[in-house]
Parts: sequence; C-alpha cells; structure tokens
Amino acid sequence: MDYTELCEKVLRSAEKLGAKEVEALIVVRRAIGVEIERAEIKTCSDVMDSGLAVRTITNKKLGFAFTNILAQKEAEATVKRAVGASKASPKDENWKQLPEKHGYPTVRNTYDNKIAQFTSDEAVLLCQTMIKTAYDIDKRVLPAFGGAEVTISEGICLNNQGVKAEDKGTSLVCALGTMARSKTQVSPMCFEFKASRRYEPNPKWVATKAAGLAIDAINVGSAEAGRFPILLDQFALQSILTFTLVQSVRGDNVARGRSIFQNKVGKKVAGENLTIYDNGTLPGGLRSGKMDMEGVPRQKTPIIEEGILRGFLYNNYWARLEGKESTGNAGRGGGGLSLPPYGTIPNISPTNIQLKAGTFTEEELLEEAKNGYYVRNVQGAHQSNPETGEFSVALAPAWRIQQGKMTHAVKNVMIAGNVYDMLKQISALGKETRQVGTFIAPKVVISELNVITK
Amino acid sequence: MGINRVFRKTIAGWINLKDILSPVLDKLKGLDASYAEIRTQENNNTFLTVRDGQVETVSSSIEKGAAIRVLARGAWGFSTTNSLAQSNLETAAKSALKMAKVAGQSVREPVKLAPVETVEDKARVEFEKDPRNVDISTKIKNLLNVDKSCFNFDKRIKSVTVNYADLATQQALATTEGTYIEQLKMFVWNYCWVTGKSKGAMASARDEIGAHGYELFTAEPPEKIAERVSRKVVQQLQAKTPKGGAFPAIIGTDIVGVLAHEALGHICEADLTLAGSALMGKLGQKIASEKVTIYDSALIPEGFGAIKYDDEGVLGQKSILIEDGTLVGLMHNRETAAKMNATPTGNARAQDFRYPPIIRMRNTCFEKGDYTFEELLEDVKYGYYLEAFRGGQANLDGTFTVGVQSAFEIVNGELGKPVRNIGISGNTLETLKQVDACGKDFDLEMGRCGKGQYMFESSGGPPLRVKSILVGGA
Repeated sequence: MDYTELCEKVLRSAEKLGAKEVEALIVVRRAIGVEIERAEIKTCSDVMDSGLAVRTITNKKLGFAFTNILAQKEAEATVKRAVGASKASPKDENWKQLPEKHGYPTVRNTYDNKIAQFTSDEAVLLCQTMIKTAYDIDKRVLPAFGGAEVTISEGICLNNQGVKAEDKGTSLVCALGTMARSKTQVSPMCFEFKASRRYEPNPKWVATKAAGLAIDAINVGSAEAGRFPILLDQFALQSILTFTLVQSVRGDNVARGRSIFQNKVGKKVAGENLTIYDNGTLPGGLRSGKMDMEGVPRQKTPIIEEGILRGFLYNNYWARLEGKESTGNAGRGGGGLSLPPYGTIPNISPTNIQLKAGTFTEEELLEEAKNGYYVRNVQGAHQSNPETGEFSVALAPAWRIQQGKMTHAVKNVMIAGNVYDMLKQISALGKETRQVGTFIAPKVVISELNVITK
Repeated sequence: MGINRVFRKTIAGWINLKDILSPVLDKLKGLDASYAEIRTQENNNTFLTVRDGQVETVSSSIEKGAAIRVLARGAWGFSTTNSLAQSNLETAAKSALKMAKVAGQSVREPVKLAPVETVEDKARVEFEKDPRNVDISTKIKNLLNVDKSCFNFDKRIKSVTVNYADLATQQALATTEGTYIEQLKMFVWNYCWVTGKSKGAMASARDEIGAHGYELFTAEPPEKIAERVSRKVVQQLQAKTPKGGAFPAIIGTDIVGVLAHEALGHICEADLTLAGSALMGKLGQKIASEKVTIYDSALIPEGFGAIKYDDEGVLGQKSILIEDGTLVGLMHNRETAAKMNATPTGNARAQDFRYPPIIRMRNTCFEKGDYTFEELLEDVKYGYYLEAFRGGQANLDGTFTVGVQSAFEIVNGELGKPVRNIGISGNTLETLKQVDACGKDFDLEMGRCGKGQYMFESSGGPPLRVKSILVGGA
C-alpha cells in the first residue's frame, strides 16, 4: 500500500462527503527490542504499529477519527466517522484553518540505514554486554531491568490546503536499571541510558554508569535539614522542569491564562545565565525532524535568552488564535490514556529543549555546591503544580556533598521549592550537556533549596 | 461479593474466533513452542475534550489487532499484527517464535509457567448503560455542562478542561493449552482540570471518576463533579504553604488508595519483588502495624480493576497482601508464581494488543477499621489532614511519594486552615509501621497507572492515621 496514495484518497472522499478542510496523517512505527529482567534476557519483540488519523473541518466544526488498519475500506469508514463527528460538534469560532504549504528544512542525522537493518540478534548482544559489564563492576549489583531497542518510524501528512510531506527517522536505545544490596541497605533503582538517532550503541558505558550509581547508593549516611545548595543532574532537572516550565511555555496554556508567563514576554523571568531554546532541527536530536505532526516545518524557537522571556511554543491552532506563526511544535498521541501518535488531534509538545551550557567542570560544580546535595533523580515531579511552580519531591538517588566532595548517599530526603524562583537562583551551569527526555542541558547548581528530612 | 455479581453472561455480541486462532496455535506447537497465546482485540473508543466552553475534540476510533506471545527455549518472543486474518496471524506467530529463539540463546534460568486450569468461557463486565448506545451530542452536552458548572461555581475559576473517554473492548484469548476466553470490557472515564486565579495567586485541582457504563453520570451529574473540583480550587487559592518536616497525618479516603498502591502495591508485584524490591525475602514477616490489612482484588464490580480473567486466562480473585501487619502474599503472573512456588493471582494484564501482559494491580485497598473521623482527629496536636491527591510514584527500595492537591492543618484535634500543594514521602517499611488507627468509612477511587504501559485500576480504603510522615514544604 502506498501511504501517500491512501492519504490522497482520504482527502478526496472527505471532500465528497462535504468536508471543507481535511487532513490525513499516517504514522508507521516498527520496534525491535530485547528486554532484560533480573539479569536475564527475557523477551525479544518485533512490534509493528501503524495508523491513520483523519481531521475534518466544515463551517468551523471539527471532527476527528482514527484507525490502526491501513486499508482502503477502513480508511473510508474512518473518514465517515470523522465527518460524522464534525457534524455533531458545536462550532469553534476560533477555528481559522489547517496549515498551508511549506518548504522544509534539511535535518541531519535523524535516519540511519544501519538501524533500519538492525536485527534482534544484535539487540541480544548489546544486552549481554550490559549484563556482563554490570556484574563485572560489582557482584552486589543486580541488572534488574533494561534492554536494547531500535525504532524505525515514518510519518506522512497531507491536507487539502497544500501540505504534502513525509519524514522518517530511526533511533537506538540501550538502557539499564540496576539495584544493589548490602546487609543493611537496598539502593533505589539506578538508571542510565544511551539513545541516538544513528547507530552509536555504548552498552559498556551504560552498564558501568548504572552499576556504579547503585554501588554508591548503598553507602548511606546522615542527611541534614535546612536550606542548602543543590547540584541537579540532568535527570532531576528535566524531571522537575518538564512538569512546570515546559507547561508554562506552551502557547495554549498561555492563551488560556494557565501560565505564569502570560504577558511577560520581554521581561526578566530567570537569571542572566539562563538561555533556553526549543530546537526541532538540531542535527541528531532525539526529537528532531523536518516537520511536526501536522506538516508544519520544525524550527529553532527562543524561549528564554539571558534571563529574558522571548516566546512560547505553538501548533497551528493556537498560533492562529493568538495571531502568531506556528513554531512547528504540534505533537500527537500520549495524554492521560497513552494513545498512539495517530490517536489524537495535534497538541503542543516541545522538541529538543536546549539549555545553554556554562563553564563549570564537574569538580567546579561540586565545589560550587560546597556543603549541599547532589541529586541524580527525583521522584514525584509529576505531582508538581505547573501553574504556580510549587514542587516537593523525594530524592532517589542522591548524595551529600561536603567541602566540595560527594561523601555518602542519603535516603528519606525531600526538596521543596518553586521552579519559577529556582530559575533565578542558578549559580552555576556545567560545560558538558547531554539529552535526557526533551532536555539537552548541563548539570546546574541551585544556590539554595529547602531540604526536608525526618 | 462473588464472581457472579461481577459478571453475567450474554449470548449476543461474541466474536467466536476459536476456529481461526486454534490452527495457528497448533502449528506453533509443532514448531517447538512450549507455550503460546494469541490475544485479539477489537476496540471501539470515543474521546471528547471540552475546554473553557469550547469543544476541542470529538474523536472516535476503531482498532483491531492481535498480540502473540510464544515461549520457546525458556524465553519469550512477542509480536503483533493489526489483521485477524489467519495468514497474517501465522506470519506474526512465526515472528514471535523466532524472537523467542533469539532471546533464548543465553538463558541460564528458563522461564516456567505455573499450571492453571484451562477454561472456555465468555464473560462481560457488569454495566447498565452501554456508552456505545448514547448519542454523541448527549455526551458533548454533558461535558459542556460540567465545564459551565465549574465557571458558575465561582468567578475566580478561570480555566476548565474536561476529558471524557469511553472504551469498549472485545477480547479473545486462546492458548496452546486449550484455553479460550472471550471478554467484553468497558470503561467510561471523566477527568477535569480546573484552574483559578485571585489577586495574583493561582491554584488548580483535578477530578477523576469512572465506571463500567454511562450510568456514571447518573451518580455523578455535571453539577456534582463541578462543585467537587471547583471547591478545591477556591480553597487552594486561600491556602498557605505548609511547614516542611515529619508530622502526624490523617490520610483521607480520596488518597488512602494511592498510598496502598504506591507505598505497598508496586513492590508487592512479584516481578518487582524478585528484581530486588524492599520486600524481597520478607514474606511471612511483620512489616506493618497490626492495624494494617491491604488487599488487591479483581472482585469489586464497580472498580476499574474488576476482571473475570486476566490476560493469561487466570481467574481474577481477591489477594491479601498484608494481613494484620504481616506480609502474606504477592501479586503474580504465571511466570513469577512458578519461580516462587506460589499460585498465579490473576494480575497479568496488558494495556492493549500492542503490549504483552505484565503484573498489574487491580483494585488495591486498605481494610476498614472502626474509628470515626473525629476520633482519628482527636489525638493529633499538630499535623495535616490530606484530602485529595495529585499523583504518586514508587521506587523499588520502598521510597514512595504522593502529591496532595488539597490538605488542611490539624491543630489540637481540630481541622484548621487549608494548606497548599503538599508532597508527602516515606519508605514502605517505616511508614506502614506508623499507621495507628483506621477509620470506618470507605471509598474507592478510579485511576490509571503507568508501568511502561498504561492501565486502568482503582484503589481505596478508609481514612487512616499515620504517626509520622515526611511533608515537603517551606
């Protein structure tokens, strides 16, 4: 089945049923992976998922339907259901129009033939290497969960306003979660991964890091309550910012008065050392591509420059409503019910959020956090309040820093504060960056946060 | 409550795929698969979103697919297909077998499955009003009413999002052992997020409810939902920041289930216990105060975790995890049951045909006690009453967190002022020993849980008192 042809047919049949505007999106995704459970290669899987999403608009009435079966008969039925939904839907007076024809950027390093040719046998080898490496580090380490997986994906988006585009991508992930036990201690799950769009696996590095963390995490000592400098690892940083800052720079939340940043463009919202871009065209970025999920080109969008708020992230709908241009941030799928990427209308999603690196080496960062804590990861960040920025999270794993050196792991410790205040209290940024989730960031030192212990 | 109350059989609407699935499985048996299962699904789903008086999404979907899991050479292979035609099922089955053999290359301890009785059965979850028979415009109108009622509740309410979904799944499960089970599953789900503003202060609250049929909205009319969630927003606007530290707390009925789920449930999932969770080797030991009894049950008909059979064909049941403070059981699939010499408990569930089944909670609850709410309050000099939750998370070492969206101070045995946005945290093995009283009310909350896959579940219990828990604050 030619996917573009199927999309063309969808457009024509929707028009025949009276739809003024129509969009067809096909997403095809194949994942080959091997899972590790309790130091064993447990499951190997080859999963193909594909689907068609149809959006129609007539007289400002929106309808949407999707199916996971890419065949003409099911496509026709899906068009009918979308048009039916549009008829049942009340008018959306804010509706302007679907995206128009665009040129697209060339984005390098997002597809690798070597990944497209990847076999399950190679995944087994990667996993064996991770298990062996972790054990070789220390027998007290259990490589509890993990795996190696490649995904090959393809997206095709057509609408009757001129958009006709396709994009494809690959990625490879090796990940390992380890635990360590001593007579008196159980470490929290210690997680490391390496993800790339090209074939660049590094199973030894992943396992060495994950195992090292777990061993360090069973050396538990005392924690002290009060206000302390905190060195946040990229894992902790992205976790805290994803559920707060990222929500507040979404154009829909701004337009709806749900963002603390409403009416603050051009104003100082963070320290001068903070510069943040959303960069959807970054070569090799885990979330880079030439188009977003409604066929608008990806781009690099300034959010905060030297502490000054520059702008927000938009998809087509919210950009037009606000009289702006889409920033190519339409995402799809997910949400509260974890729907597939063809399962929802476009939302607003970040691509690769780049937080500009500073000048501090690892040693200098520890020196800056002098008598504080190093927080690798936090637990409970999704319970933060995005509107107010208030968060209180448990640390797992985390270590005490004394006189600029990491001394021992701590347990039963929380930190609490306000993210929007925290942005003004970054006293140091590391010079190395890495991507975790949507964030490409350095480690940062927050000059002071409230630490709560028993 | 017995199984008969949970499910009743109907004649109409069965898909009868046995004749298609059996030959595919027979071929696998001939090709050295020691076990295989095919789980097919046809899903008819509706999704609606209303925000600030505007309908954002009217969506419907039809999905069809099969998940095939094969055990060979002591390891699992898994594949999926979106066609239920025999030839496609055979291709996917062969792929799953190949994957199992690849995974089995280096197995030291082969996967074994605890024996279960084979069954042939057809079952449907109990509901009164099939959402598929409710007109889409009726559903839209209902949601717009929730939205409007929130704005009408108080002028400080500034933004409202209401998400609705109804999900109807016809599932067939066939195994090489001869089990063939058809089940009709149904979920009706409603989720609101409401934000308020006043003199520069902002606050928000969430509300999540569900049932197995559209009768949800008979018990929960729009005004009732709107008032419940909006009241929390307005209260939060006036709330002050809590003190951080360890305090006594009364965990309310809206939140106690999350505690059962996060503080105990996850590390009682046998795959996580075996992976080295804080409960490894603790079966039969006293790990909680004797006031604590916690169970995970498939047999609460209104709960989102009500199932007659799990996705390995094991009969759903009530599994006691902690009885009077002693850890007496874990939640198993067939694999972990075999490993630990236990009986499968019917906890193997998959999000949909894109995923293999893994151990998931169903309806996880604290058992009731005999305290009135006032009696629980009485002895607390200074502490917090935690009323409603925002989310939770668990770690294998027993560290859990629960986000609290609405809470009050307790001063000298009486409820005081509302406090803002608390997070609480603790460690299972310490916190469950701190429970010193359980109330006599009981409530069940519908929710979702993510463990690589999303799953509907519910959790609940009585209000209970904890002598000391860590509260994140200023």
